[in-house]
Amino acid sequence: MRKFIILTILTGAMLLLVGTSCKKEFFNHPPEAAITVGNFYQTTDQVKASTNGLYSAVWFGYVGKSGLSICELAGGNGRTYSPDISAYGTFSAFSSISTDFENSASWNAFYNVIAQSNALINNLPVQVSSNVAPADVNNALGEAHFMRAVAYFHLVRIYGNVPIVTNSTDLISNYQVHTNPVADIYKFIIKDLLFAETNCNKMIRGSTYASNARVSSGSASAMLAKVYLYMRDYADARSEAEKVINSGEFKLYGVDIPGKTFSDLFLTANNNNEESIFQLQWAGGAAYGFGNPEQSILAYNSTITGTSDGYAQIGPTFNLQDLYSSSDQRRKSTIMLPGDHYPELDQSTGGFTFPGFPQAGSAQNTNAAVKKYVVGTPADNGGIGAMQSTGNNTYIMRYAEVFLIEAEAVMAGAKTSSDPMALNAINKIRTRAGLSPLTVIDRSGFVPNPNYVAGSNLDSQHWPTIYKDDLFDERRRELAFENDLWYDLGRLDGFNVPNHPLAIQIISQQDRGIAIDNSSSAEVNRYPSYEAPTSGQFLFPYPATEVSADPLLTQAPVPYKF
Amino acid sequence: MKPFFTILVFLGYLFFSSLYIFAQGIQEQEIKGDVSDEKGSPLPGVTVKGKNSAIAVITNGNGEFFIKIPLTVKTLILSSIGMQSQEILVGKKGVIHCVLKNSTTTLNDIVVIGYGSQKKGDVNGAISSVSAKEIENIPQVSIDQLLQGKASGVTITQNSGAPGSQTSVHIRGITSLSLSNEPLYVIDGIPVSGDANNQATSGQSVAALNGNNYPGESGVSPLSLLNPSDIESIQILKDASASAIYGSQASNGVVMITTKHGKVGSPQISYDGYLGTQEQGKFLPLMTLPQYANLENALADNEGLPRRVEFANPSLLGPGTDWQKAIFKSATEQNHQISISGGKLGTDFYISGGYLKQDGTIIGNNFQRYSFRSNINSQVKDWLKFGTTLSGSRSYQNASISNNYGIVYLALLAPPDEPVYNADGSFAGPPANQENDVNKFNPVASALSITNLLERSNLSGSAYAELKIFKDLTLRSEVNGDFNFGKQTVFNPTYTYGANTNSTNKLQEYQPSSNYWAWKEYFSYKHIFAKKHDLQATLGHEVNSTHWNGTTESIQNFLSNDLQTLNLGTAKTAIVNEYKDASSLESYFARSIYTYANKYSLTATIRSDRSSKFAYGHQIGYFPAFGLSWRVSEEGFMKNAKEWASNVKLRLGYGQVGNQNVPNYLYGAALNSINTGLGTGFYVDKVQNPGLTWETAIQSNLGIDFTILKDRVEGSFDVYDKTSKNFLFQTPLPAFVVGGSAEYSPYGSINPPYINGGKISNRGFEFNITSHNIQSKSFSWNTTIIFSHYKNKVLSLASGVPFINGNLSVGFLNFTLTKTQAGGPVGEFFGYKSLGTFKTTDQLASAPIQFGQSVQNSGNGTWLGDIQYEDTNHDGVVDAKDQVPIGDPNPKFTYAITNTFAFKGIDLSIFLNGSYGAKIDNVLNYQIAGLGQLYANQLASVSSFWSPTNSSSNIPAPRNGNNPNLYPSDRFIESGSYLRVQNVTLGYTFPSNLIHTIRATQLKIYVSGQNLWVFTPYKGLDPEIGANNQGVFLSGIDIGRYPSPRIITAGIKVQF
Repeated sequence: MRKFIILTILTGAMLLLVGTSCKKEFFNHPPEAAITVGNFYQTTDQVKASTNGLYSAVWFGYVGKSGLSICELAGGNGRTYSPDISAYGTFSAFSSISTDFENSASWNAFYNVIAQSNALINNLPVQVSSNVAPADVNNALGEAHFMRAVAYFHLVRIYGNVPIVTNSTDLISNYQVHTNPVADIYKFIIKDLLFAETNCNKMIRGSTYASNARVSSGSASAMLAKVYLYMRDYADARSEAEKVINSGEFKLYGVDIPGKTFSDLFLTANNNNEESIFQLQWAGGAAYGFGNPEQSILAYNSTITGTSDGYAQIGPTFNLQDLYSSSDQRRKSTIMLPGDHYPELDQSTGGFTFPGFPQAGSAQNTNAAVKKYVVGTPADNGGIGAMQSTGNNTYIMRYAEVFLIEAEAVMAGAKTSSDPMALNAINKIRTRAGLSPLTVIDRSGFVPNPNYVAGSNLDSQHWPTIYKDDLFDERRRELAFENDLWYDLGRLDGFNVPNHPLAIQIISQQDRGIAIDNSSSAEVNRYPSYEAPTSGQFLFPYPATEVSADPLLTQAPVPYKF
Repeated sequence: MKPFFTILVFLGYLFFSSLYIFAQGIQEQEIKGDVSDEKGSPLPGVTVKGKNSAIAVITNGNGEFFIKIPLTVKTLILSSIGMQSQEILVGKKGVIHCVLKNSTTTLNDIVVIGYGSQKKGDVNGAISSVSAKEIENIPQVSIDQLLQGKASGVTITQNSGAPGSQTSVHIRGITSLSLSNEPLYVIDGIPVSGDANNQATSGQSVAALNGNNYPGESGVSPLSLLNPSDIESIQILKDASASAIYGSQASNGVVMITTKHGKVGSPQISYDGYLGTQEQGKFLPLMTLPQYANLENALADNEGLPRRVEFANPSLLGPGTDWQKAIFKSATEQNHQISISGGKLGTDFYISGGYLKQDGTIIGNNFQRYSFRSNINSQVKDWLKFGTTLSGSRSYQNASISNNYGIVYLALLAPPDEPVYNADGSFAGPPANQENDVNKFNPVASALSITNLLERSNLSGSAYAELKIFKDLTLRSEVNGDFNFGKQTVFNPTYTYGANTNSTNKLQEYQPSSNYWAWKEYFSYKHIFAKKHDLQATLGHEVNSTHWNGTTESIQNFLSNDLQTLNLGTAKTAIVNEYKDASSLESYFARSIYTYANKYSLTATIRSDRSSKFAYGHQIGYFPAFGLSWRVSEEGFMKNAKEWASNVKLRLGYGQVGNQNVPNYLYGAALNSINTGLGTGFYVDKVQNPGLTWETAIQSNLGIDFTILKDRVEGSFDVYDKTSKNFLFQTPLPAFVVGGSAEYSPYGSINPPYINGGKISNRGFEFNITSHNIQSKSFSWNTTIIFSHYKNKVLSLASGVPFINGNLSVGFLNFTLTKTQAGGPVGEFFGYKSLGTFKTTDQLASAPIQFGQSVQNSGNGTWLGDIQYEDTNHDGVVDAKDQVPIGDPNPKFTYAITNTFAFKGIDLSIFLNGSYGAKIDNVLNYQIAGLGQLYANQLASVSSFWSPTNSSSNIPAPRNGNNPNLYPSDRFIESGSYLRVQNVTLGYTFPSNLIHTIRATQLKIYVSGQNLWVFTPYKGLDPEIGANNQGVFLSGIDIGRYPSPRIITAGIKVQF
């Protein structure tokens, strides 16, 4: 009897449990370690933080090898043997780039920027709490529009016609779309930048660098100046450039900020300095993808990096080396030549001295190495940094360029000019670099080479005619290894033009060769080599995987519906 | 709250019930007896049990027994493995002589079928069984590796030969495109996923950190924590009619593992141990220093560099460093296990402890495991039984760096002109300016100086009670849990190896943990109506929940390389990360098995699962199945054939199962946190799709089981069709829609939405046949053949998805190696067809232009010595459109043949395992035979590359960098067929009269050779490649896998 009672009770209890099936809550498992889209954007701090990501990891694919290969190798500031990127400096191998990993790295990176900017632009107005001040919401939206514009600006300069995407979800079910024409993309960029100019906060860059980190209305104006310049809309370019200059928001190191030099611009400690218009904000030492990868690729060796990387995958060409005069203070902070001593690198052993020949050699046999964006060991940078992850920011634009834009916009396509506004602007940069001021800006193009020596293999003496363009050369010296040269070459022959005769001739005269140590002689022996692109190669091919997913990419573009 | 309540009720229930154990008064009688076989030899180890009683003993070495039973017990049951059971009426005589007959068939073996068990002969579904005997004496670390070649329809490939590494187990082909294809393992009722990448939970391996900065194969076997010696039997539920009881967890099949239980009778103490030595069986012939120098000169010429002075005359150089010899070593292995088992008065127990240590054949690798298990069952009352299982294990696994860019890879490419050590004994490194990605790291230094230790602990257990409500109806209530804790430590020291320096040491730690609990209750009913209608039914409810959590920390700048703890690093370099989530599942299931007259049988199963992995409204899935069988041999018309065909049974099954290995919150969009210079940043992780639901596999099976030719031959043959559909599929969108992984960094892109779509079919057949060739008094010879064939075909992908690429980065190259598209198999190799090298200028002039390159002997033109590719689409040019499928990584069939011989006490088993028809993409050859990079050694076989003086060679001339000669093509596709002498074991069992003096009941010694020889046309290290991190799109791709070693062991097995 007792057994029967116990059995009944136990069985009954169990059946009861079985019968009452689990509550609905039991099956609700939203992420425990991630915020869901619907729960975010509720406070001012959340809205401010929502744009942080747009300054970093999304750009990663472009900032490293990929961007350097496209801009510096193809442009002619760098050369390489490195088998993974050698095709970028060799136009006869250009066709292989459509399937190249580095090519898709840039493409993907810009579309990452666009996808995340779009997500913010589309989610924020819907999800944001009414407690957040509209100005903060608008500033975040302004930043997102700015980022999207800058990403398209890079895409259009590298690939030409590309599809404009403003909301990923529109294309989920059908991504077979055409590209949009270059002119429409520029129009779209201007529209986004004008939005940013209107909505981003106005700022004055001060000595508290951390508060300079974000882009402002002035950053949008500066970027607008550059875009207008590419479009050869000189009036608007000039007006935006002057708006920036007159605002006093940004300051030139060594000119407006005394005691600082060009070299100081690239120290980790000076991230977000007064000259910075838009910098990518890396988390030094953080996991791969969050830190700055440039040093790893550019540094001459692992003694400099202290983290076993430092591959010197790109060496400065002799063509670039010859472009700097001995008085140019930018040279040593841009490229290393034999004997150069850098007290800021490898400080624990008293600084790094670049050996060059006759030591084992130098980066890519150019007897030189890249310095810009090379910042040294973690110990040299306040303990921060790791393999492929340094904490120095990457410039997308700095104030010095605004003066070069101003000079070019004032000249408005003239061959020569002695307009004081233009001279003032370019000389500001030249003087800072230690060069003598110009009295006339000469953009004549090819002129007889005064140094021509028949039979010489030195770049500066090799050609009977050489290209003379004070603005182009100044930009190149100022911005070398800041990913600009290729874009400048692409616009020399005009805005959105199919043929590039001038640029082709410039490139075909660049010595991209190597040097071999000749121990018996004080001079290194140069083995020049020259490359010539075709006009079609001024646009990079779409990544093959993208074309195979959407064959319409290679068809004629269709107008964008604004 | 609910689990606590459950446990409380359960414990109370156990407590009350146990009060009654001791309250019995017994009137007993004593019975003596002996048991022998048909030849009169005494049979030790026979279980003698009172019918309807818990009391039992086993016979001693002389086959004798002594048992005390209550007077109420009238019958004894005698049973022993491999013998037919016998019931004996107890008379008044008190002494019993008994003869047991050999049972040659396995039809009476009990097989576990999930929430119940059945006699093997009665099973209606497709189930393969493997017994402990078949896998004993094989020195493998984990059970997934042991199953290789033991069951038909199961394709097992060891993805790496590293100790403790993972294995791919595919039951009947590839079922899922996006989720894991590993089966569900159910160990004594506790489910364990075979997915080394933990897709359904943390999404990463428990060894997620890499010793170097390169991604590689990192998974470790989830099953390496289970000691194979504890296993009693394994059942593999292959078709849906068998596995549907596991519903949404069963689409990849279910492997049921039952551990050993004590047998009623006098306790047994067993020791099982072996010592072994392992060595690398095959080395790749690499260039010697003179050949290497010759290549370096050719590459220098190609790049316009001067030749290196020291290589001016290659023929004068010595052989150089043999890096393979430097990293491989012979290694020892040892395994010990002690178990005590027995049972008395209705209580049985099994307790074991084990220790295994396996050194790797690559320096710096080893694996150690301590394990413990206790299984206890007690029939406390005739209406109540309860039991517990508890197992714990701890393992230590030292690895150095992973496969891709791993030690083997680095050693193959390391230049022979560099020494391993400097004269002062320190590690050597590359001279300045002769560094590149691959020769930068001294492989020996990397293997020995990088710490990469994985410690894992596991505790799992269950407790159950079985309540007999009335004679035919029982209710079983069970709680179980599985708790895992891991810790991986990776330390990169400071060093200077030649020109390669690292002045920043770094420690990374990763602590993953997971816990699982489940509570299940089910009723079992069994009754025979009118002697002919046998009905079994099961009805149950189960609820389970899994929580997982992991933290990673890294810190840099230690003052010394010796002490490696987080507190000793520099605080401001610290980076921390954490993940945490949970999931839950609730299920109802029902099964009934109806058998008429032992002839016709029907099994019908249904399970409903409700999962937290999906949004409300899409959480519930139903998984029905049925199986029919017809035992033809029981029919009247077969009566005369009975002697020749004692059992012939036809089976037909159909059912649906699902796949539960889904990551959490796939249906919604979250914000991933990332590190930026501005502080934490947030990225939208994916495009949401709240309508996401189960992926299903529909399976049908037709099979026949047979025991024929006077029970000499038994086996089964099955054909099946398995169609899986509605994959949980991540739409592969072009990057312009949502962004994409860039420069190996996945951060920033918005993941495309997961959708349900696509369909793949696997059709195949499989059979296993065991033939008892000779069965005489002193000699026996048995042969077992296992054969499996399947054809995998993609029927459709999701709408808008024309194909899925399998991409891999190898060194500086990144390739699309496979393309999965409708009509072809999953992960089919894709590339160009090569036509040998260009040997004449005429050939150059007449061939279609390749990749838009001009015909010229400079830079990047096409020239003599380059590979000519076929213009497969005949459009006059060779370009990307000429890529075609160039090979299927799926084998045409796999097979295994086991021969066992027994002569008196000697037994010999020879186990061959083979695979035929799979293709391997020898991607390693892009690097070690690519002739594309300075300072990297190459295979000796390519030293005869094309040159003007060797113009008939089909090996292309050295070309720097990413050049068309290295494009994916059939040049790199090789046959992956192999026949492996997997295991040969020779054992001797001492006769019982000899060992009686040491009071042993059994003593066996054996020697065993594992992986003794491989017959294969494959030129790489090992043709058994498996899948890169178990991924289906990159299987059969050799990227420098850790080769399986040859192992010789000697073992002893003794029982008291």
